[in-house]
Amino acid sequence: MTLWAVALAGAVAVAFAGVMLLHRSLYVSAVCLLVVLLQTGVIFLLRGAPLLGLIQIMVYAGAVMVLVVVTIMASGGGAGGAECFADFSFPRGIAFLGLAACVLEAVLTLRGLGAGPAMVPAAPGLGDAFGRTLFTSYALATEAVTLLMFLAALAVAPDKEAA
Amino acid sequence: MNAVVWFVTGLLFAAGLAMVVLRRQLLAMLLGVELMVAAVNVAIVHQACLLSDAQALAAVALIIAVAAAEAVVGLALVLRAFRAGRGLEAGAFTELHG
Repeated sequence: MTLWAVALAGAVAVAFAGVMLLHRSLYVSAVCLLVVLLQTGVIFLLRGAPLLGLIQIMVYAGAVMVLVVVTIMASGGGAGGAECFADFSFPRGIAFLGLAACVLEAVLTLRGLGAGPAMVPAAPGLGDAFGRTLFTSYALATEAVTLLMFLAALAVAPDKEAA
Repeated sequence: MNAVVWFVTGLLFAAGLAMVVLRRQLLAMLLGVELMVAAVNVAIVHQACLLSDAQALAAVALIIAVAAAEAVVGLALVLRAFRAGRGLEAGAFTELHG
């Protein structure tokens, strides 16, 4: 069951990555990347790393993709009104495919089809070891990354010269 | 399971790489980089769960945070270039100015 769920999530991710590569519109590419990131989050969940799956969905699919879409919309019509910046229509067939895949994956992940949920439980003690590693031996790296994210947040603050 | 995950990882990474190489818009190139990072994360998480390796999971958490910071800085640079009137095509950036 887990294999089929991972294969389904992987197939949807690859299909949307293909659309992302081939479609002219940047908006469609960004929304397809959002679907790919959601699918990778589902794969994390299925493989027994639920915390990383949630972080992936919150940080990437939530915050970063909102920034990307806002940036594309803010620069809409950039480069002389190029079509790739001005086209905000999403193909309905692709949207329907993504929605159907999400529903099927949710059913497979949480309830399964008669053989129990497809989600693999995390290995015993792995969650504890993950937290311990992050805040003991990797504590300096964790603090450095926190500082990096704070500095990155400053990058979006407008300066007087630009204003 | 192993083959499926590595196949998906390879295809996602190839799609991201193709996006960086073939598309000319800066934003599309940034999206391609994000796709490659996500592909690598899938492989690392799969192997970490197979081997019960907590250090690899911690590394993935840090990679996600660093990639988010990189995306924010990249988008800020792209918007700054756009406001400066240099457009959003990669071909416009052939020279460095002090």
